[in-house]
Amino acid sequence: MSGPTEVTDKPAPAAAPARGGVLARVTGAGWRRPAVAVLLVLACYAPFQLVPFRVFQLTMVLVYAVALLGLNLLVGHAGQISLGHGAFMAVGAYGAAIMLDRWDVPHLVTLPVAAGLAFVLGLGLGLPAVRLRGLYLALVTLAIAIFLVPLLKRFESVTGGSMGLTLPKPAPPAWTGLAEDQWLYFLALAVTVAAFLLAHGLLRSRVGRALHAVRDNETAAEVMGVRLPFYKRLAFAWSAMFAGAAGCVYTWVIGFVSPDSFAVTLSITLLAGLVVGGLGSFAGPLLGGLFVMFVPSISQDINDAAPGVIFGLLIIVVMYVAPTGLAGLAGRLARSTKRILRKE
Amino acid sequence: MTADDFLTVTDLHAGYGEARVLHGVNLSVGRGEICAILGPNGAGKTTLLRALSGMVRVRGAVRLDGADLTRRPPDAVARRGVAHVPEGRGTFMPLTVEENLRLGAFVRRGRGEVEADLERIYGYFPVLRERLRQPAGSLSGGEQQMLAIGRALMLRPRLLLLDEPSLGLAPMVTRELFRIVQTINEQERTTVVVVEQNAHLALDVAGRAHVLETGRIVLSGSAEQIRADEQVAQSYLGYRV
Repeated sequence: MSGPTEVTDKPAPAAAPARGGVLARVTGAGWRRPAVAVLLVLACYAPFQLVPFRVFQLTMVLVYAVALLGLNLLVGHAGQISLGHGAFMAVGAYGAAIMLDRWDVPHLVTLPVAAGLAFVLGLGLGLPAVRLRGLYLALVTLAIAIFLVPLLKRFESVTGGSMGLTLPKPAPPAWTGLAEDQWLYFLALAVTVAAFLLAHGLLRSRVGRALHAVRDNETAAEVMGVRLPFYKRLAFAWSAMFAGAAGCVYTWVIGFVSPDSFAVTLSITLLAGLVVGGLGSFAGPLLGGLFVMFVPSISQDINDAAPGVIFGLLIIVVMYVAPTGLAGLAGRLARSTKRILRKE
Repeated sequence: MTADDFLTVTDLHAGYGEARVLHGVNLSVGRGEICAILGPNGAGKTTLLRALSGMVRVRGAVRLDGADLTRRPPDAVARRGVAHVPEGRGTFMPLTVEENLRLGAFVRRGRGEVEADLERIYGYFPVLRERLRQPAGSLSGGEQQMLAIGRALMLRPRLLLLDEPSLGLAPMVTRELFRIVQTINEQERTTVVVVEQNAHLALDVAGRAHVLETGRIVLSGSAEQIRADEQVAQSYLGYRV
């Protein structure tokens, strides 16, 4: 798997991105800060304007965005592949659920523990990535996702088996004056913002540079002193950590976990969502989250069989007209708009 | 072997799986020397460099300045000051020229030094400064080779391994590159091992040369001796003396 192939596009003009490297090149650097600010204001404003169901949907978009952010680290930035990322989400979700169910742990405590659990598991399951690549790695990670559902059903006393576990949702503190859906939304938003900041910082650090090197040319990375096994496993672990955090927030928001929510289709949907959103880009996970959440639910209104068909068709269309994903498309539109404005 | 042997390779065997490529290579390179490895396609030149930097499994011994490098992983070899410019340049295409260069200093600490080294590299390759913010994939072949060498220098290598720097480049560009490599060798006392198909160019800058054939060194000597050798002239230089 190679990363974003912006290079096949026109060579960027010499004046283009001053900071942020690949990220900035995909989304366009100049307007990113203001865009993020506007987006944040809108995000804080939205739950007061929408009906609870829409607020719930937006909350789920955020949950997916956090998971995709992790997957993006692995696939978009480190050039590895995972067809089993739903499993890490499940680990976070079940980790949180079991803590809540058995020991009545406060909700906020479940988040770091679930994320840490997924991190450690990612470190372990990252071992195959050290030896395998491409299709072989895809198969092994797929096997993990397939293996998970029966495993969760098997240990019924802990996991609740096929029936799943029902859990209390975090209650909004009285001083906030928020309804439950709004409170959940803001919790998810806080986790999302933290996750984005963390991922951003990580990518700008030495680790981020190493991951990009591994993605773009393993041989060259190796001879420059990048320890491939170490950084590949680290990429898996970080990536799993984000998925685990997303899973934990999922449990808070839904208040229920069952094995079938984390079937293989979730893993594949996540990867599809990321590719559609834009691999290796800053906005990709968010756009991918919107795609994964709203495409099936909107097409549901047309026909019961429609979601699958439309989801599939849209993936083909997006890949055909925008191989760099929706984020790449947005960047391209922004650039051509700028060109037109400059001419006038 | 003399006291000033910087790199010594003893009875080196290497290969890929069942395929044996090197069958007992013996080689020594003096400190601050440019050493050319010549030979036909498939002789094992690239494999020899890959063996030196730990990318293939080997039997035998590789010593750099007295320290044993045998069977160390590539990152450990890099940490010991061996910079390898791989065949095909190994450009990180989507990353900018500057990001590529900074990755060259990956194993080094100390920010100030790295900044100073960037300036040093722009001194050798002024074109890289003009292209700093461009994706490296948008550079021409010659520029990418300059980037690859510049990136290798960011490691502050004691030993620089160059794998076919002339590959796919115009003759003018290649000459320019070799001239710069010679300058680097003179100014920084960096020991260089260069693998080349273009024997003329390599012999112009090299002090010593070795001819590799089917995994063995069949001829060693000073660049002049090798150039003068009739057999080599016929086989690799393309003319009769």
